Order: sequence, then structure tokens, then C-alpha cells
Amino acid sequence: MGRVCEGGLRLSLALVSGGFGRFGKEKVGVREGGSPGAGRGGSRGVLWAALLFLWAGVLYPSGSSAQIRGTIVGPGLSRYPIAVAPLRASGDEEASVLGESFSRVLGRDLELSGYFRVIDRQAYLEDPATSGITSEQIDFRAWSLIGALGLVKGMAELSGDDLRVEVRFFDVDKQRMLGGKRYRGTREDWRRMAHKFADQIMYYMTGERGPFDSRLVFSSRRGSRFKELYVMSVEGDDLKRLTRDENIALSPSWHPSGYRVLFTSYRQGNPNLFEVSLDGAVGRLSSRRGLNLGGRWSPDGSVIAAALEGGGGTEIVLLDEEGGLRKRLTENSYIDVSPSWSPDGTQLVFCSNRAGSPQLYVMNADGSAVRRLTFSGDYNTSPAWSPKGDLIAYVSRVAGRFQIFVIPASGGTPRKITTEGNNEDPTWSPDGRYLAFSSTRGGGRAIYLSDLSGRVQSRLTPKGGDDSAPAWSAWLE
Amino acid sequence: MNGCASGVEGGRRELRGGAFSLGGRVFRLAVAVFLAVLFASGCSALRKKKGVSGEEGAPGQAPGGLVEGSTLDRYKQGLPPEEGGPLQDVHFAYDSYELSEEARDILAANAEWLRNNSAVSVEIEGHCDERGTVEYNLALGAKRARAVKEFLTDAGISPQRLSTISYGEELPLCREPTESCWARNRRAHFVLISK
Repeated sequence: MGRVCEGGLRLSLALVSGGFGRFGKEKVGVREGGSPGAGRGGSRGVLWAALLFLWAGVLYPSGSSAQIRGTIVGPGLSRYPIAVAPLRASGDEEASVLGESFSRVLGRDLELSGYFRVIDRQAYLEDPATSGITSEQIDFRAWSLIGALGLVKGMAELSGDDLRVEVRFFDVDKQRMLGGKRYRGTREDWRRMAHKFADQIMYYMTGERGPFDSRLVFSSRRGSRFKELYVMSVEGDDLKRLTRDENIALSPSWHPSGYRVLFTSYRQGNPNLFEVSLDGAVGRLSSRRGLNLGGRWSPDGSVIAAALEGGGGTEIVLLDEEGGLRKRLTENSYIDVSPSWSPDGTQLVFCSNRAGSPQLYVMNADGSAVRRLTFSGDYNTSPAWSPKGDLIAYVSRVAGRFQIFVIPASGGTPRKITTEGNNEDPTWSPDGRYLAFSSTRGGGRAIYLSDLSGRVQSRLTPKGGDDSAPAWSAWLE
Repeated sequence: MNGCASGVEGGRRELRGGAFSLGGRVFRLAVAVFLAVLFASGCSALRKKKGVSGEEGAPGQAPGGLVEGSTLDRYKQGLPPEEGGPLQDVHFAYDSYELSEEARDILAANAEWLRNNSAVSVEIEGHCDERGTVEYNLALGAKRARAVKEFLTDAGISPQRLSTISYGEELPLCREPTESCWARNRRAHFVLISK
């Protein structure tokens, strides 16, 4: 315990010496500025976990230090109570609307993470329009009274199309700023700024960046009988239609850049492979007769793994970026589908019925050294390799229902993540801590989110859309 | 030849430019223009269509094109899938593309019909029930259609008259979550294409 305390003290000093930097270098869309103590991040995260441990120790005195991260204070266990005040606005009326929206989206992200409980806005005693955002100006007792341990405050300045946001994260008990960011962009960038800061708060708290500055794409029948692709943030209230094929659009997956989506569509009659960019422009990649299915860009964006019909079965191939055949990885009369890359791009996991029932297999990216991964159950499909590399998520049929499981990539004992309804199409968050998938629980089919313990499960899309096949992008940069 | 080279090398063909607001009509026009340009340049996408199977397009159908009267064509028009017709559907067990005795009897009769109507080609559609994974079911539907095609070819029907397509679980005949409904959906269906 002594060691942990010491760590906590060192942490406090590091944070005090932090302070805001100047506006940083330009990123895509959003310019991001000064994180206190940038570069010391890793150790600070660990130290923060130590602080969290001290706090959690009150509730879970028997906890061991090995369980600090994400377990004692983690999804589904005790949540860290945090207040997210609306940003103080300067500029026109729109700036204050934007300041409200920012805190709503940030709060929603933090709730979805499972680490936080965002305290209801109605309870806030301080008026964000008039109160300050420095430690000296904040009435921490007013925040402590409503049970907040953490507090987010900030300001938004809108002049013309130019948006500047400054946002800070405070420890209420210690009455001290723990970190902050400045963002600069256009007024449309407010949502990404909120997601970025949610990821940053998760970093302060757990030592690992959160997954929210990213996108989900999925298939949906909302609005018509046709299956179209839709894109949204994880928190979901910016849902946007991506295709207007009036046809069947299937199996979307992201280019590593997060700006283009591979998918299979019957728009030309045959199930061909296409790519659509976020502005809606569509290009065709493969239109070989029969299935052109399940395209997945390699992590470095150099080749596409896909499944094509041929040789009496469906085979895994590599296509170049123009859709030309680079290499056949499997050749047999069985079904081989749904390739998914290891994060280092050296291996693929896929589904095959070569042993009589659909099972998962891992092979090298040149098709060599094929080995069977799953041995329990007679229906294992839809593999998705974690971005951390250690786990593979997939779908397994248990007692007539389909559930999400994870299994170590090196083989081992599968662990069940879902229990209710039919659950399919798992996809990993960029930080490897969450899975999104489709589920029929509660009637209809919608997209859900789960952490790896399965304790926190949240619905991300409105019911009634028959949503399926979510694909989670990498972090946007 | 320059145009040809750029068509092949110059990256993916843009079927549709622009924003979300583009409607279906504009899209269709764009497709028509795209096809016309391809045709005029003499540089078709056929090179890419010589697929893994090496199979060429069947008669009565542009390679990869929409077959009139197919379940997809009907779906586009808001019509329900058809069952049977001059050629009876054949059905399959769950997660299987094996031809049962009953299926073989039906296919023998279908082969007879095809021998007597030699001007007709067919597209064999493979379908699955809703239980299971979309991609796996697409591959399963393809195996079902291929098993049927193989039987008919063995029975003396020219493979030139037989094309296959899989719709997986995408276009079910029946939408109730019952075994009898699922059984109807696990099928190969025949769409006639007149020469």
C-alpha cells in the first residue's frame, strides 16, 4: 500500500507542474493543443490508476493492486461519478447551443465507457454561464455536495466558422486540474472535439486512450425495405445514410484511414465488391462472377483479403488495391469466408466448414500454416481479431441461439460475452476494450456495445432499423 | 489504346460521384454513361471478371447483370419471392448443401423439363434460412446452387444453360421464426431465361 500512496503523490506533483501548452500542430479537421505533461503519459496513466485504486479501495478494501486497471474501477463495477458542465459560450447564440451539445456528447461517451456515472445536469448548482473554469474560480464544494469526484468544465468560442474549445478535467476532492485540452476547428468539428476529450479523460483515468474518436458503419433497413449502409459516431445521434443503392448492401468494413468503406452489393445484379467514401462516391473493386465477399483491408492498407467463389467452394484471396488478384490463400471445395487480419498484418483468421461444420482457422498471410482455433460447438463464424492482437471475437451457436464469444488468438478457452437474444457480427473498438455487434434482444435487431466482461451492454442504435454488420473504424487522425 | 490502359491501370471506376443527395435516377444515368464509356473505349471490365472460377457469363445475362424475374429483380420491384414454377424448388437441411433423395427426384424431373425445352436457360438461386451468419450463409447458398448445377450437368444439361447466384439469407420466402418457414427458405429456386 505504501508504494501506491507514494505513486499517488508523485502523480499530483506531475499534474500541478503541467499547465496548458500552446495550440498544437494541425491534425485532420481538428487542431489540438497542449496536454499537460504530454510525453509522460504512460506513467501518468499508471499513477492515475493508483489514485483510482485508493478511491476504489474504500469500496473494495480487499482489492489487489493487480486488479487496479479496469477491474475494480471498471465497466460494470463501481463507476466514477463525474459532472460534465456545459461549456461556457462566447460568441453568438449558436455557441451556447454548441456548448450544451458538446457536454451532452462527452457525457454520453463517458457513460458508454462503463467507467463513469455522469451526474444529472439538473443537480448542478453552479451556473456554467457565469462561473469560471480555473481551480481558483470553481466552487468545488458545490460539486462535492452533489457527489461529483470528477468535473469537466470548459469554454467554447465561435467566431464565424472558426470554433475554439478549451476543456479541463478536475479532481473535485483535491480541488485541482488533472488535465486539459484546447481544440480549434470549424463549427462542424465540435462533435469530434467532444469524442477526443472523452478519449483523453479515459486516458487520464486508465492509462489507455478511449475509443470514441472513431466511427461505426453498418447495414440497415431503416427507412425502406432495402439494405443500405449507415455511418455514425459510437454515441449514435449523428446517424447518416451512406449508400442509396435501393438494393442489398452487405458486410461493410473500413479502410485503415477511417474515410472509406468496403462492402458487397447486389446493385449490379451480382454480389460485387465496392468501396464507398464518406462523401458518397462509389467505386467498384471486384465483379468476378459469383460471390465477391467480405473484403477487409490489411492494417497497412496495401491489400484486401476477400472471399471469392471458385474451385467449387468459396476461397480466401488477396486482392490488390485495384481489385486485381494478388494471391489465392485457400484452394479447396469447402466454404472459406470472413477473413480478419491480425493487427500486425502477418496472419488471418477465417471461417471454414472443411471439418464438417463452420469453425475458425488461423493462417499466415501467405496462406501457410493453417491451424484450427475453435473446437467447441458446431457453428463458429464471423471472426474479428482484436486490435491489441491477443483475442479473437466470434459468433457461436449455443442451444439454438447465436452468442458473441472471445478466444485467445493462440487458442484456449472461449469466453461468452452475450446471453440475451441472437447476437452476431462482432467488431472491436480501436482500443480493444469493447465490442459492437448486432443483437435481437428486446425484439428487432439493433447495434449494441459491450465491454469484455459482458457486464456493460448498451444499445447504440434506435430500435426498428433491422441493423446488422457493424464495423468499427480505427481512431480518426 | 491509351484510354484502355488508363481504364485498367487508372484505378477504380467511379460509378457515382458526389454527395448523399444524389438520387436513384442520377445514379442510373451515371451507370449508363459509365457502361457506354467502357463500351466505347473497348476496355471492358471483363478482364476482372475472369474470376477464380474462370466461369464466363451465362446466356441471357450480361456477366453479373440482373436477371429479369429473379428474386432480386422482384425485390427491387417490391414483389415477394416466387416459389416453384415450371421447375420445382429443391430444399436442404440446416447448414447443408447435400441433395436429399427427394431433391434428386425433383432435379431429375427438372432435367427432363430442360431437355424438352432446350431454348431455355436457367439461373439457379441458392437461398438460406435466417439463422446464421450473413457471409457464411452467402457461401452456403452458393454451394447449394452449385450442387444443383452439378446434378443437372451430370444429367446431361449443358453448363452453358445454367448459371448460379447466391442470395444467402437476404431474400427469404417466408419471415416467420418457425421451423416450417425456415425449411421453405433453405432452397434452390429456378428462374427461366428465354433465349
